[in-house]
Amino acid sequence: MSLSDIQKDALQELGNIGAAHAATTLSQMLNSPVEMSVPKVIAVDIAKLSEYIGEDPSAMVAFELQGEIPHGGYVIWYLSRDSAIRITNTMLGMTDTDRPFNEMDESALREVGNIMVSAYLDGTAELLGFVMLPSPPSLVIDMAHAAMQSLIAQMAEEINEVFLFRTDLTCLEHKIDSDIILMPENSSLHKMLNLLEEMMKPPV
Amino acid sequence: MIVTTMTDPFVQTDPTAMIGIGEYRVGSFRMASIGLGSCIGLTLFSPEQKVGAMVHIMLPESSGRTDRPGKYADTAIPLLLNELSTLGVRKGSIICKIAGGATMFEAFSASMNIGQRNIERVKKILAEQNLRLVSEDVGGKMGRSVYFTPQENGKVLVRLANGSSREI
Repeated sequence: MSLSDIQKDALQELGNIGAAHAATTLSQMLNSPVEMSVPKVIAVDIAKLSEYIGEDPSAMVAFELQGEIPHGGYVIWYLSRDSAIRITNTMLGMTDTDRPFNEMDESALREVGNIMVSAYLDGTAELLGFVMLPSPPSLVIDMAHAAMQSLIAQMAEEINEVFLFRTDLTCLEHKIDSDIILMPENSSLHKMLNLLEEMMKPPV
Repeated sequence: MIVTTMTDPFVQTDPTAMIGIGEYRVGSFRMASIGLGSCIGLTLFSPEQKVGAMVHIMLPESSGRTDRPGKYADTAIPLLLNELSTLGVRKGSIICKIAGGATMFEAFSASMNIGQRNIERVKKILAEQNLRLVSEDVGGKMGRSVYFTPQENGKVLVRLANGSSREI
């Protein structure tokens, strides 16, 4: 499936609204400014996934999209292992970064991810009037590519290409660098495109 | 005097062919697939000819799809055998190794245990083809990167996210 420039712009705007909501909640939780990149919507051939998502140890908090479309795709909050430790240290009032993850860290990451992703999906639902609900969070601390690959393998539709809505969220004060990635199933993507087209039609 | 040098397997002098999801390569050069989750990295190697093949399988069944044969267990294995036989490799000489098939997200309703199904399907097809599976590192919850060096007697190295690695 290829997207026109107008469709890409519309989807990027959708990603922008979602990510802005997520950035606000992250900023509130860290009590520190969070910068947000311009959201990108990219089509990635699955054979080339490793050019976008590497094998570095990372924390991935993943959510399945539910709601009107039962298996709508996934949203993933993706951060380097070091950023993940720094975020939980900031929240739990610790300073040691050279330590293994414990249950408190894992639970904090799931919770922060849950709040951010819920805000992201609130933002997109407000704009589209199309509700995508997040499943409970699932956390993996491992190679990022392996986690993404596992999600792609279990997508409902057989695909050779995935669309990634990706926005970088960074907090300079705490040296936290993270990405929020929406990976819709084609069924959700079509629905989003239809709704966006409706919105862009001039009033009759 | 015999001088032996310690070589770090991750410092490379030869280029390595990166094999992405659903891709495969055949030859005597170094090959690698990074970040296997539920996917399977399968290597076939002929010690007689020092030539091998590697594929990055994502799903057990092609269900009639033919566009990317390397993506599915049922189409990938016959494909590699065919490629090796055109290079004159004797089927009886081939040894196989597999890595991957992890279950990283147990919680999701859609997960359907793809990792496990991949492992079972690959093993079944290897057995049907009378191919020898000599070594494996499969299952569990961990992601793996796999490095295959036909020139070093078909050595297969599996690396985990924590940096530890082992030969299989």
